[in-house]
Amino acid sequence: MRNVYVVGIGITSFTRLEYPLAEIAAYPAMMAMKDSGISKIDHLYVANMGAGRINQQTGLASAVIDTLSLTPAGATAIENGPASGASAIIQGFQAVASGMHDVVMVTGAERMREVNNLEATDFVATLTHPLAEYIYGVTLPSLAGMFTRLIMEKHGVTSRHLAMVAVKNHANAMHNFFAHLHQPITIEAILDSPEASTNNPFVAEPLRFFDMCPVSDGGACLILASEDVAKKINRPKIRLAGLGQATDTHAVQERKDPTELLAVRGAAAKAFEMAQIKPSQVNVAELHDAFTILEIVESEEVGFFKKGEGHKALERGDTSLTGKLPINPSGGLKAKGHPVGATGIGQAHEIVTQLRGEAEKRQVKNAKIGFTCNFGGFGNNVCCLVFKRED
Amino acid sequence: MELYGYKCKKCGHLHYPYRMVCKNCCKNEHNEFDPVPLPRKGKLLTFTILHNPPSDYEVVTLGLGIVELDNGIRVTGQLRIPNPKIGMKVRGEIDVVHAAEYDKQYGMVFFKA
Repeated sequence: MRNVYVVGIGITSFTRLEYPLAEIAAYPAMMAMKDSGISKIDHLYVANMGAGRINQQTGLASAVIDTLSLTPAGATAIENGPASGASAIIQGFQAVASGMHDVVMVTGAERMREVNNLEATDFVATLTHPLAEYIYGVTLPSLAGMFTRLIMEKHGVTSRHLAMVAVKNHANAMHNFFAHLHQPITIEAILDSPEASTNNPFVAEPLRFFDMCPVSDGGACLILASEDVAKKINRPKIRLAGLGQATDTHAVQERKDPTELLAVRGAAAKAFEMAQIKPSQVNVAELHDAFTILEIVESEEVGFFKKGEGHKALERGDTSLTGKLPINPSGGLKAKGHPVGATGIGQAHEIVTQLRGEAEKRQVKNAKIGFTCNFGGFGNNVCCLVFKRED
Repeated sequence: MELYGYKCKKCGHLHYPYRMVCKNCCKNEHNEFDPVPLPRKGKLLTFTILHNPPSDYEVVTLGLGIVELDNGIRVTGQLRIPNPKIGMKVRGEIDVVHAAEYDKQYGMVFFKA
């Protein structure tokens, strides 16, 4: 297998965007081409989840490649729920690593705010089991609520810990120009004050409004290339060193222990093994905090902290921007935003920015090894990536 | 009406929901499962009260939970229980769980036992 490098990156703001979906995919691609100086690619992978359902557009890859005037290069769209982004990165990696292609572009885009919040939530809920979950009105927030209640019983995680994740990630997003929410919050305002129940109402008990990610439009892009191509580009050498993907039962109820996220554990273990590093060597991580509880539990399942101790690391400040292992310096899905198909690529964009040392006020010092976890379904399809700076 | 589990004809392992290959023996060739009505009694494993149900549910809040039935099979269902508690005994009934325009869907609804 050949080594694969990230040679160019681009991103849009994660927010409400008023331009068409194909342009949301193409704009970060143009940024990535400018960033790398590359103007010709062998193949385009477009990560997207909802075009057919919420934007009435199918065959998105053909639209994007033509918008970029990059025809006749090959183009493929990849849908793998909220893990579409990292799934597309894995496909791009395979194409370059195998020697089939030298330069591929992986761009993700979503335009969810074309519909209202309830419709957007219903669209994401279609990834649940059609007969055993969806018909009952099960949504992703409700699966997260049921999961949170079990974790609270088992490990002593409280609403205060969840609020601490939200406060930390909102604070990080203040330094990220591309983040959806530029809104500093305090524990007092969302938990302790008399107005807290108005500011922060229940959505899916015990989860509240500020435990949920926003519904975002947005796009992000990586250009992946072989070592020969990367050598000629005068940018820091960031190698995509480890990739892992794992699955779990479709219906959450079928898991032997519903408090365990086995697909997260499996995907992370594969990625670390391939990169030949230990979780303790990671300097900066982007975890899939669509719900605050997920940042805590994923930080345990990927191996950063012992099972049941993620919330203690959070309390100690280990995961804050100046801590031992900063998690979600971008603001995470919680505050940076969650345009589902683009999210995994947005996470990789942040890690590459950090490893290049270009993250400005949210820069993690001496970051050489970065990690992302892109969580699809409610933990039934998970992709983890390890990035290494090599110069 | 019943909610069915699916028993593998080769090894007897009971599944819910339906799957095409047995999780236990992986030996089925084609639809080799016997439908078996699931028991109605069980205990509540976890639950949530959803305050923003999907748009076509005309309710303010929707109770949802995962119940472990007496035979060990777990079912996600709607809760019609005022103050649910983890571990409480519940009984299930088959009722309308989603009513789209000309299309009613039936599933398990749980009450306090």
